Amino acid sequence: MARRPLEGIRVTDFTWAWAGPYCTLQLAHLGAEVIRIESQKRTCVTRAIPSFADDVPGPNRAGYFNQYNQGKKSLLLDLTRPEGVEIAKQLVSKSDIVVQNFSAGAIDRMGLGYEVLRQVKPDIIMISICGYGQTGPERQYMGYGPASVPLAGISSLSGYRGFGPAEVGISYGDPNAGIFGAFAALAALAYRQRTGRGVHVDVALWEALLVLQPEGLMDYAMNNTQPERDGNRDRWMAPHGCFKCKGDDDKWVTIVCGTEAEWQALCRAIGRPELATDKRFADATARKANEDALEELITAWTKERDRWEVTEILQKAGVAAFPSMSNKDLATDPHLAARGYLVQKEHPEVGRRIHAGIPWQLSVTPCEVQAAAPLRGQHTDYVMREILGFSETEVQKLKEIHVLY
Amino acid sequence: MAEQLLSGLRVIECGQMVSAPYLGKLLADFGAEVVKVEEPGGDPARRRGPFPGDIPHPEKSGLFLYLNTNKLGVTLNLRHPTGQALLHRLCAQADILIHNYRPTEMAELGLDFARLQHINPGLIMTTISYFGCTGPYRDYQAYELTGTNAGGWAFLSPGASDHPELPPLKAFGHQADFQGGVHAAVATLGAYYHRCLTGEGQHVDVSIQECIAAILEMNFIHYTYGGRETSRLGRRSIFPWCMLDCQDGKIFLICVEEDQWQRLVELMGNPEWASLEIFRDRVARGQHYDALFPLLQEWAANWKVMDLYRAGQERRICFAPVNTMADLFASAHLQAREFFVRLSHQIAGTLTYPGAPFKVSEAGWAVHRPAPLLGQHNGEVYGRIGVSQAELESLRQQGVI
Repeated sequence: MARRPLEGIRVTDFTWAWAGPYCTLQLAHLGAEVIRIESQKRTCVTRAIPSFADDVPGPNRAGYFNQYNQGKKSLLLDLTRPEGVEIAKQLVSKSDIVVQNFSAGAIDRMGLGYEVLRQVKPDIIMISICGYGQTGPERQYMGYGPASVPLAGISSLSGYRGFGPAEVGISYGDPNAGIFGAFAALAALAYRQRTGRGVHVDVALWEALLVLQPEGLMDYAMNNTQPERDGNRDRWMAPHGCFKCKGDDDKWVTIVCGTEAEWQALCRAIGRPELATDKRFADATARKANEDALEELITAWTKERDRWEVTEILQKAGVAAFPSMSNKDLATDPHLAARGYLVQKEHPEVGRRIHAGIPWQLSVTPCEVQAAAPLRGQHTDYVMREILGFSETEVQKLKEIHVLY
Repeated sequence: MAEQLLSGLRVIECGQMVSAPYLGKLLADFGAEVVKVEEPGGDPARRRGPFPGDIPHPEKSGLFLYLNTNKLGVTLNLRHPTGQALLHRLCAQADILIHNYRPTEMAELGLDFARLQHINPGLIMTTISYFGCTGPYRDYQAYELTGTNAGGWAFLSPGASDHPELPPLKAFGHQADFQGGVHAAVATLGAYYHRCLTGEGQHVDVSIQECIAAILEMNFIHYTYGGRETSRLGRRSIFPWCMLDCQDGKIFLICVEEDQWQRLVELMGNPEWASLEIFRDRVARGQHYDALFPLLQEWAANWKVMDLYRAGQERRICFAPVNTMADLFASAHLQAREFFVRLSHQIAGTLTYPGAPFKVSEAGWAVHRPAPLLGQHNGEVYGRIGVSQAELESLRQQGVI
């Protein structure tokens, strides 16, 4: 079998909730051995949030956990006990990367801060993720993912015209900090490869989102102003929207024309070639000026049609059209299935469920999800005995005194 | 120049707009040498703005200036055979080629991986596209708005909406494209690590639709575990989770754990209504949103945003100001972390840019040069692969550069 890109790399994963686990998920996707340290007393929130398989609650049945921990291993360990901290250090000494997303400073108080781990493993790469970063006057503030969106200015920029600032439907700051953490870990691996040195990385949800809205920040830097909220519309392109389709259901299709050729193709495809020469729509500037009328005309056409029919007609004409996809649409999408994106690994408690998979494909070192998410503590014995070299008796003893479970 | 995480990495970027250019920027800002190849008309991001005084100018587009820091810029007509030959010569000396041309255009632009690999067996080529290089939608035309809807994000946005007549809503800017760029950075450096160990190059195929479908929180599994199709409509299942109007702006509040709610009640001065049975836990509060929201709103209206933010956070209650751009530039926390940076550009002048996405204990983010002018480094870059001044002139006349 082909080698996976990060085969042989081990990650000690102290993360929980979403940002941290999304970071280590990428490393697992690339073939690293990721060992999640879980607490018996403080179960990961994602093991306790619905939906559960068949609506039967249980820590191993939560889809949220099982989605973002695919391919990882689980060690159930009490880090509030000195013996637990010692075991964690031993695992770090046999790891390349450590990832954690406790609030700023918490890991230092646990006795597992970067300076300590460096003693244990001099070239360790440590990724710390939290809402505000490890330094600065607000570092102790609570920075949940949903709060990072308004904090980063994305809410004040997003929203329907004439409405207030919008949340954007997902807790965007979390996976975004996670993906930046994964990028940092890989860049640090390249650095270690070249120099033999490790680094400590400080990811703040807030800053990792700020770097993704330059059209807002640069407008202010240049003009002391910011763009007005304008729904799905674009500053230059028209049409540029999400249009209602046939029936009373909540079905919509996006249509965008980025060039004059696309606009003319759209006019022909919807059977209104005369619009291409209509003064109101003669070029992008004119279409922007008459966008309400333009959207009405397009809606009149889409409202009579199914969203996939619209997609087919317009894509055939070279116009960017595609349905607004729901979770159900995605899980049943033939394209995603054909690309092998929908992952179903056997899981001892929930069987085979569809999960979102790996968003890239590598031609030489194919990435594949290695296994379903772990049961809580599923790999305690494996980690203690095979990685750390403890005897069966020693492991048993540690379980009896509830350092392990 | 000081050592950075990716010093020594040689990258060729054939990127337009956001996704591949942002991948290029990430690599360049962490030390890679990135040569940006623009078609003679220039990257369309040069025409996007924002512009000073709202007056379009190809060297003053805020989006372009931001996305192309630290890069060398050359022009090259990839639709011309001589242009493709030059690209191949550039790739012979590179570690990584990144681009976001559509899969259907790749071959006609000389971005044929088999051929490139023949020239440079260690080359990694990363393709970012909306639907990936395989599968039935491979050839579909798409833009940012298409991508955020195809990946299932917009259908959930803005969330907790009671306006079924309003469409799924994209988030501001180019979030789908940006996610394509950052996810591609992860995949590309994974391939690079493999190359460090084995010398092998490969093709990396990144689908923006798939990147977005991967970040839908529990929404994806609400269907595959719970059989529920979720949308932007409806209510939050837990509460408080909302924006509130203060005297001078909006504030966001979320209480996830019970102790956070208890501390909020304390901060509100323990009003009698807070002990009502209908507000007993976060789910009950969610069900009685109509009763609770006005009470919270009435209380918050007496506060100024920053006062309530500090008072709440000091009690470990998760408040956040709904920041405007002006608020962000004035933030003491961001200033203390030196987030914003000043950078001079020959034509656009000195501006304040967003800075590092994260901090590193050593060898971290740095900005050495502003975005290139169109074709600014033609002489330097083509000189390196042995193109003389006279040849450059002739290439210019042929419309190759």
